[in-house]
Amino acid sequence: MDTLYIGGGTPTFLNPADWESLIEILENGLSFSRGVEVSVEANPDSLNADHMRLWRSWRVKRVSLGIQSFSTEILRWLGRPHDEKQAAEALNHCAENGFSSSGDLIFGIPGQDLRLWHNDLRILSGYVNHLSIYQLTAEPGTPLAGERVASQSEAYPLYRFAQWYLGSRGFLQYEVASFARNESWCRHNLSYWKQGNVLGLGPSAWGYLDGLRYRNVAPLMRYLRREGLPWEWTESLLQEDRAREAAILALRTRWGIRWKTFRRRFGEDISRELGKALSELPPDLFVKRNGRISLSGKGFRLGNSIWERLV
Amino acid sequence: MKRERIRNFCIIAHVDHGKSTLADRLLEFTGTVDPRTMRAQYLDTLELERERGITIKSVPVRMNYRAYDGTEYILNLIDTPGHVDFSYEVSRSLAACEGALLVVDAAQGVEAQTVANAYMAAEQGLELIPVVNKIDLPSAQPEEAKRELEEVIGVDAHEAILASAKEGKGIDEILERIVRDIPVPQGDPEAPLQALIFDSVYDNYRGVICYIRVVNGRLKAGQSIRFMATGRECQAEEIGVFKPGMTPVNELEAGEVGYLAASIKTIHEAQVGDTVTDGVRPAGEALPGYKKIKPVVFCGFYPVVNEDYPQLRDALEKLQLNDSAIQFEPETSSALGFGFRCGFLGLLHMDIARERLMREFNVELVATAPNVVYQIVRTDGEILEANRPSDFPDAGQIEEIREPYIRLTVFVPSEFVGKVMQLCQDKRGIFHSMDYITPERLRLSYILPLAEFIVDFHDKLKSTTRGYASLDYEHVGFRASELVKVDVLVNQEPVDAFSFICHKDAAYHMGQAVVRKLKELIPRQLFEVPIQAAIGKKVIVRQNVKPLRKDVLAKCYGGDITRKRKLLEKQKEGKKKMKQIGRVSIPQEAFLAYLNIGKEEED
Repeated sequence: MDTLYIGGGTPTFLNPADWESLIEILENGLSFSRGVEVSVEANPDSLNADHMRLWRSWRVKRVSLGIQSFSTEILRWLGRPHDEKQAAEALNHCAENGFSSSGDLIFGIPGQDLRLWHNDLRILSGYVNHLSIYQLTAEPGTPLAGERVASQSEAYPLYRFAQWYLGSRGFLQYEVASFARNESWCRHNLSYWKQGNVLGLGPSAWGYLDGLRYRNVAPLMRYLRREGLPWEWTESLLQEDRAREAAILALRTRWGIRWKTFRRRFGEDISRELGKALSELPPDLFVKRNGRISLSGKGFRLGNSIWERLV
Repeated sequence: MKRERIRNFCIIAHVDHGKSTLADRLLEFTGTVDPRTMRAQYLDTLELERERGITIKSVPVRMNYRAYDGTEYILNLIDTPGHVDFSYEVSRSLAACEGALLVVDAAQGVEAQTVANAYMAAEQGLELIPVVNKIDLPSAQPEEAKRELEEVIGVDAHEAILASAKEGKGIDEILERIVRDIPVPQGDPEAPLQALIFDSVYDNYRGVICYIRVVNGRLKAGQSIRFMATGRECQAEEIGVFKPGMTPVNELEAGEVGYLAASIKTIHEAQVGDTVTDGVRPAGEALPGYKKIKPVVFCGFYPVVNEDYPQLRDALEKLQLNDSAIQFEPETSSALGFGFRCGFLGLLHMDIARERLMREFNVELVATAPNVVYQIVRTDGEILEANRPSDFPDAGQIEEIREPYIRLTVFVPSEFVGKVMQLCQDKRGIFHSMDYITPERLRLSYILPLAEFIVDFHDKLKSTTRGYASLDYEHVGFRASELVKVDVLVNQEPVDAFSFICHKDAAYHMGQAVVRKLKELIPRQLFEVPIQAAIGKKVIVRQNVKPLRKDVLAKCYGGDITRKRKLLEKQKEGKKKMKQIGRVSIPQEAFLAYLNIGKEEED
């Protein structure tokens, strides 16, 4: 196993004793390759020194912090329990403990102008070598449902600015939402975009195995009591659909599609069809070199309209 | 049957002046229809006719009436279509009668349509019996209505019957006067057969059924017959009279009204206005007045879903069986796909056809903007007929464009006359005449391009006069006009469905409106899309649909992948419903909204 990601929002919810037993289970059940990338998600308000100590003594390399913003007002609006001081402290702690840390920021929040957004990017990029930016959406069934959040075209200046600003600070946009300095890519996430196999453990976790995608049952008790496979939903992709999905996922990253490998994996016909669909689009959306096609900065901004041609 | 006891008549009335109710009363009074099967507007057979309160198909009915003198008479009532679009049908129905009831609303007086039809009846030598209807209304002014009958139409209203069809008043008097005043049908039963087809319907079992008036000679069941205009010969399989249902008889002779079925497959073989004669001993000449009806308004009908094309064709064929005035031929539009170019007698006719297709045949369709037929004189002298913008040759090959004109007559209360004149002027009308009917009402007459009339003249007239004006028109032929064809280009490609013909002075304004509307409706694409209006190669208006700047939502891990893929599929499905013009997707609404541009401009 090359990567392990302990996520689900707040693994710091577990106390040190719980963590010790979790580590024991994982060590007994899985075989880690040398140089395995182990990441943990954490929220600034629940991260403490005990966690750090445990993780440091185990295999954890990356800590991904749900920073969201450095503006008190925005954090309050989002209903986050931490403030900007805790966020900075958490980042400092990670650095002191030698973790490679990553942070998430959210844009498209009402009242968030370019000045506030610039501030968020400036502070976070001073601490980390990896960061992700997400546009806020008001999904039905969530506390934000019905809120007036920024539309795609309203969010354009913010996203465009992030691309430019992070670039000027040495970050490479290696995926639609992901930026990294010094090649600190998140290898775990990359495996999603490479359509790699992922074993999903725990309630509500997703996994993928050679064309089969599944989701575990969500309620904890049902997950624990389930005999046999805990899947509550699966889909199995036909070869052609796998190819289309693989192309779309590959185009999320700066490495894009390598035609030679793609043809070998999925065959000549579908490769030609997808290649043709892409060639009908304006050329400035793409970067083509060394037998690869990937999205340009502009292409990243217009992903949906491009991928739509591939489904 | 003795000819002396036959009376053939029709009713001339303006819409809403109570024609259908009067007909109902006559049927009841003569006991023609059993009171139990009686329903309102008995003669209006189409659902649409009842709803709109208009008559589209004329249905004849035969009534037996015992007059005060004790003699039994046969009264044939031939209903006439009540709308100006169908004036040819009206003229044929009139030709089958010797007299007409001229019905005027006691509260509203004479209207434009009534005058036109009354003149037409008088020209054909019909005896007119004036009837002032709706005298029960509190606002009734029967004396005023009588005066208008005399002054405007020029009939002797001295003996006008005061009636209320609603309350059954005056019905007996009307029946007596029909017997007394309407001439006995002339004609020689021994002469070679001449029967006028004044209408026809299609029956699934018997084929085309012609409604006929025998003018000379006799028509017997089984007789061999010939249609003089088409030359088609066949056997009269069944003949009969309307009682009011179709009832077979052995013989119809000069003066009688009835029907004829002869296994005729299409309505084109037995056209309204044609003369039926004896196959063995044909008449020397046909009855006068036959003309091939030519549509004056055209538009494209397209199925909403391309796969419904055959269904639309079947429906049009069936509709045509009942309405020979509809013409259609297949056409293709690069924007809308396969459809039909359809020709109609007028806008109401078109509207009715569209509605019947949707209601009776369940076809979902898109109708393109209506246009008139143009005459184009080419530089080489040849004259072309163009019934759609794409028929126009290159501007360089056009010497002159002619468009159809009408003489429009409007009856309007004097307080609105200024507004109506303004409206006519705006529609490129040329003033013809104006005179007072009464101190409060005027008759205005304008020469007007039909193209301007068909767009929305009627609606505008109604709204500017609060419904107090009435109109009538007649075609006065083609005249040269300074017309141009405006093409609309989306991303440099001309979209045929958007082209239009208009006066050169209106081209810029119309082009602006169309381009602006399209800019609103065409979604942003991955590249900038110019929308242009052009006359020939000269671009007169241009606007750009700005390209999309952002269309991506970040987050895509694990389970998001399936959700994302489904969203993309849905997005793509949505685009499929759009029409693809070159590289640009245009939503269906653009084609529909486009039709309303003229109307919206006013709002």
